[in-house]
Formats: sequence, C-alpha cells, structure tokens
Amino acid sequence: MGEVEKLCDKVISTDLLIVGSEGAGGHAAIKAHSHGTSVLILTKGKIGQCGASQMAGVDFNVDGKTAKKLGFIGDDRDSPARFFEDLVREGLYLNNQKMVEKYVEYAPKAMKDLMDWGMRIYGYDSVHTEEMARGITSAGTYWVAAIRKKVKELKIPMLEDIMLIDLLIREGRIAGAIALNIKSGETILIKCKAIILATGGWHRAYSFHTGSYDLTGDGIGIAYRAGAELISMEMVQFCPITMVWPPKDRGSIALYVLSCIDPFDKYIQLVNNKGERFMEKYDPINLEKSTKEIVSIASELEVENGRGGPHGGIFFSLKHLRTKFIDAIIRIANNRIKNELKDTRYEFTTLIPELIKKCKTENIEVGNGAHYMGGGIKVNENTETTIPGLFAAGECSGGLWGAVRVASACTEVGVQGIIAGEVSPKYVKKVEQAEINENQVREILDRINKPLMRDEGITPNELTKKMHEISGKKVGLIKEGSLLKEATEELEEIINNDLKNLCITSTKSKELNDEWIKAIELRNLLTCLYLSAKSSLIREESRGEFYRRDYTYTDHDNWLKTIVMKQKNGELDIKFEKPVVTKISLPKGKLTYQEAIGVATASLKRE
Amino acid sequence: MEEKKIIKVKSFRFDPQKDEKPYYDTFNVPISGKMSVQDCLVYIRENEDPSLAFFINCRLGFCRRCLIRVNGKSCFSCLTDAEDDIVVEPLIKDQVIRDLWSKDI
Repeated sequence: MGEVEKLCDKVISTDLLIVGSEGAGGHAAIKAHSHGTSVLILTKGKIGQCGASQMAGVDFNVDGKTAKKLGFIGDDRDSPARFFEDLVREGLYLNNQKMVEKYVEYAPKAMKDLMDWGMRIYGYDSVHTEEMARGITSAGTYWVAAIRKKVKELKIPMLEDIMLIDLLIREGRIAGAIALNIKSGETILIKCKAIILATGGWHRAYSFHTGSYDLTGDGIGIAYRAGAELISMEMVQFCPITMVWPPKDRGSIALYVLSCIDPFDKYIQLVNNKGERFMEKYDPINLEKSTKEIVSIASELEVENGRGGPHGGIFFSLKHLRTKFIDAIIRIANNRIKNELKDTRYEFTTLIPELIKKCKTENIEVGNGAHYMGGGIKVNENTETTIPGLFAAGECSGGLWGAVRVASACTEVGVQGIIAGEVSPKYVKKVEQAEINENQVREILDRINKPLMRDEGITPNELTKKMHEISGKKVGLIKEGSLLKEATEELEEIINNDLKNLCITSTKSKELNDEWIKAIELRNLLTCLYLSAKSSLIREESRGEFYRRDYTYTDHDNWLKTIVMKQKNGELDIKFEKPVVTKISLPKGKLTYQEAIGVATASLKRE
Repeated sequence: MEEKKIIKVKSFRFDPQKDEKPYYDTFNVPISGKMSVQDCLVYIRENEDPSLAFFINCRLGFCRRCLIRVNGKSCFSCLTDAEDDIVVEPLIKDQVIRDLWSKDI
C-alpha cells in the first residue's frame, strides 16, 4: 500500500463511480452496468428511500404520437417536433436545444425502461398546462422502487449512507473521490476513471422548501470546487400552494397537486388575510389557474403588502363551498386515491382528505417553497461536464430547461440517466486510472476535520440560520438588485470567514454527527446560494421563473444568453454563452414579463 | 387560535464509543401548531442539543426510514403527532449507533 492509501480509513477501486442512487443515478447505473462497466453506486441515504425522486408526484412526459406506440391513448395531433418546440418556446429560448432534442428523443426510452422494470402506472393524462396530454402518471415511490429492484437484481455494488466530499483531479481529469460514511465517520478514498454526479438540488439553502433533507447541493458545490463550469444558477423554481403551516405538513405540495387535478382545480380559491380572492386582481381571466410563476408572484406581493397570514403565507380556501359540497369533494378524492389508484402515500391517503375536511371551518396557510433548481453543472447533450471523466445527470445538471422547467423533471432525470450510463462506459474504456494527488487528499481531509478540532467559532446551526435569513429575505422569488447585492456581499463574507471558522462542540463523536455533516454540507449550500445570488444580480431582466422587480422586461435583445460560472485560480470566473440553437432561432425584441410568458395579467408591480 | 404548550420529550441517549450504558435526557419543546415527533427532535437538535442523533429525510411519509419508538410503540417519527409528553427511543435499544438511530434502519 502506498502512502496515499493510508490517509483514508478505506480504499475502494472502480471504473465508474455514480453518486446518487435514484431516478438519475440508479437509472445510469443500470445502463452502465449493462455495458459491462464496473460500476459503484455511492448514495447519501438508502436506495429507494432518499433524494428527490421518491417525493415526485409523479408524471413523465412522452409526446402524444410516440406515447401511442408505447400503448397509451396518446394524441395524434402531437409529435416529437411539436414537443421540442413547446419546450424551447416555453423555456423562453434559454434552453440548450441539443439537450432538448435528446430529451424528446430519449423520453420514450426512459419510459420504456421503467415499464420494463415493473413501475406501476396510473394513467395517461395532462398534468402540465400544455395543450397536449403528454403525461404518464405514477407515484415517485413506485418509480424508485422499480429502480431499486433492478439495481438489486443486477447486484450492482453500492455504498449507502455515504456522502461525497470532494473530487480528486489529476492533470485536469477525474482520478477519484473522497467520501464519508455518515454512520461510522470513516473516510473513503475511491479510485475511479469516471464519475457521474446525480445528486439533485440544493433546496436546504432555503428554510422553506419542498425537498428532502439530503438535498444540499453537494454535486454542484463539489463540481465547482473541482473547476467545472456551472450554468443558469439564477434559475430557481418556487412552488406555489406549498404548505406553510402547521409545522408537521410544512413543505408538502399536496394542495398544489390537488389544485392541478380535474375536477378539484375548479373549486380552489386563494385568498389573503382579508378573505379577498386576490388572483382577481393579478390575472382576472385565469385566476388560480394562471401560471405557476404568476400565482407565486401574486401570493408574494400579497404577503409583502401586509395581507398575508401569520406564518408568511396566503390562504387556500374552500369557504365559498357548502359543507355538503366539501364532503362530496372528499368522497371523490378518497374514491380516486384509495379505490381507483390504490395509492399508499401518506400525503394522498391521509393528508389531502384531512386538509380538505379542515377547509370546512378554516383556511389553510400556503406559500412558495423552493422547489426545483433549473441551473447546475453545465453539461452538453451527452451529459459531459467541462471536466474530462465527469458527467452529470438530473437536477444537479443545467442547460436543458432554459428559463422555465415546463415539462417533467422526472423524464429529464431518466433521459440523462440513460445517456450518462451509455456515454461514460465509452470514456472509461479509453482512459487509464489517473494517479491520486496525495496533497489534494491531505487538504480535503484536513479541511473536513478542522471543525471537529475547533472549540470556538460559529456552529453549523448558527450559520444555517444566517444562510436562511439571507435566502429567505434577499434571494427569494421576487428579486431586486439592491437586495441581491447585499446578499452576495454577505455571502462572500460568510464564505471567507464563518465557513472557515465552523466549530462542532456538542459532540466530537464521528458516528452520525449531524453537526459535522451539516458543516460539510454548508460549504456546498453556501456555494450554490452565493452563485445563484451573483447570477441573479447579473441578469438584468425577468424571464420565466426568474423575476426581477427592478427589471421587469424580458429582454431578448440583450439577455438571450446564459450565465456560466467557474472557479479559476481560486477566483470566480463569469462568462456569457449564447444558448445552443439547432432548429428554433432566437427571437428579438423586448416584452413585458407577462407578454413573454403569455399571460394577460394586470400589473405585478409593487404597491 | 394557536395553542402554545410545552411538552417534555424524554429521549434515549447512548454513544457506544463513550457511554458505559444508555441514559435519558429530557427536553422542553414548545408546541405551536400541529407538530410531529420528528419536528420536536429537529427543534431539540437546533435549539437544545445539536448532538442528538436521529433519522430524518423526506419528512412526509415517503422514505419510511424514520422508525423510532414513541411511548414504547414503533412508528414513523414524521407521521406521529406530538401532543403530550413523550418518551422517544430507538427501534431496537441494543443495536444503537447513536441515540435514536438503530443499526437496522
């Protein structure tokens, strides 16, 4: 054993390391394994029981024409070309069109795989606002169960409850990674030729979000530190009608989902603390059925103007309905969920009927939860990042969606999982294992151990509070230059000082030390939040999910470009890139925000 | 409207590396709105004792991994309401990694 092998508690070798075990990582692992590649899955939780996929609604997208070939009702008016056009047009042209082409082409393949692996399917429906029904509905829990079953069947090796700490780079390409066993505190040196990152979003940078506890931007933060380019970090989607109160239900999107389903969508009203149906003011035509963005912004403006609830939200209301009618809604919902779909998820079987019942006597406080990260590690249509040997799939990657994540993220995850699982084995065959840089390993280990050795400084809980204060007040849904500037300055200060001064004092034990894990995660969360704030400050316009109140126009003449960031010699390097165009040329002109997203609303300005 | 009430959460504690035998700590947790047992544990970890070890992930009944014992009965901590004083323990007391996280979850 060489010197470098002795630095960590364990050493493991594989050809391809896949970080993440769910919709993207699990799918990629199955594909790569079928190419005969030696694969190792590393997951922060347990397969089928962690990450974002399990919590998905879920709908997958396949264009209507191809859906017919898969045996669904489909829609002959639709076609792959039409689906492509919708994605680019509704993404407001910031999409990488080569990636969108792949999305449309591979969507049926991803669907077919999941069907072959035994995923239960509910039906074929339209769950997004598009004219065509393109959605194949299921449950996230069925999705991850199907992947889990396949991974176990193929006996793909897996390291569970283990988090990625950093990538090891040699001469600009992947040489391996350092990981940490959350349960035992052991460090692991993994030698490998290639890595697929499938680590999801960075929801926990916000105190109010819809994701799981493990979504801490690890892949994005780690890739950035390794020198990979990131793209569109300013694109963060907030989900309206997310449960704000009570604490037990906080972060649930059950009522949002209900508000998208026929016939419930017809009866739902959003009201402010005066009982006014405020959407009448913002979008009198579409009301609560307006776009996600408009409903979110309108809710936020109501709260800002003192018409919100006691916990910072607005209200979901059925008060306009008679009690008997609400009882009928509960019966319909129960029948649909329990008898027809035989759904077993708590949110659907228990929470939704409970909440509707509650609406007989009170309104329910809901708001905008951080929901989906549109930007991330810059990849091309082959899921290749800018570091040779490093691939990224799913929510941690960026480039596909442009300014609005309009179609299914679950399909994105499957598509990019397949592609990463097909492309990375070819790379693996071409290269030799690169040598591990001993100094880099020492630096990483030294850095993660420091907070445990310090007896004074700032605690991870204190720093998390500081971060949430900034994300909630200054990098939220409605953005404003002066606040973004403050946020970037404060975050720079935190990254340069507090982050280097973290201390863990409650226990020095390395087993299941949540404070220690938080300390490591904070580095990634703060990196993501900082880059998102910085990117938001740079984009002087509003587009899709991105809304700046000081620049409310969608400015095709100046801002049809993506913001690309990377770390170069320890400094943030920023450049602009034109979106990759294949079929749809970029438009010109300057439109109001509402014109650009195709909604004839009243003004969204501050009162 | 909202009742504010303080409950006592008596928690099993054990660090096999450090402690000779398990013991219990009692924390006061303010209940405001409906809170799950897991919400109480999060409160303790964020405000009282950051070293408390327990499992948390989806918070809404999807992952089905947050198994613990509340007043002796096994349950998912995110789905169980905390209304009155409770005793929280790991699923299997003699297979504990730390505190409320036993090896089998």
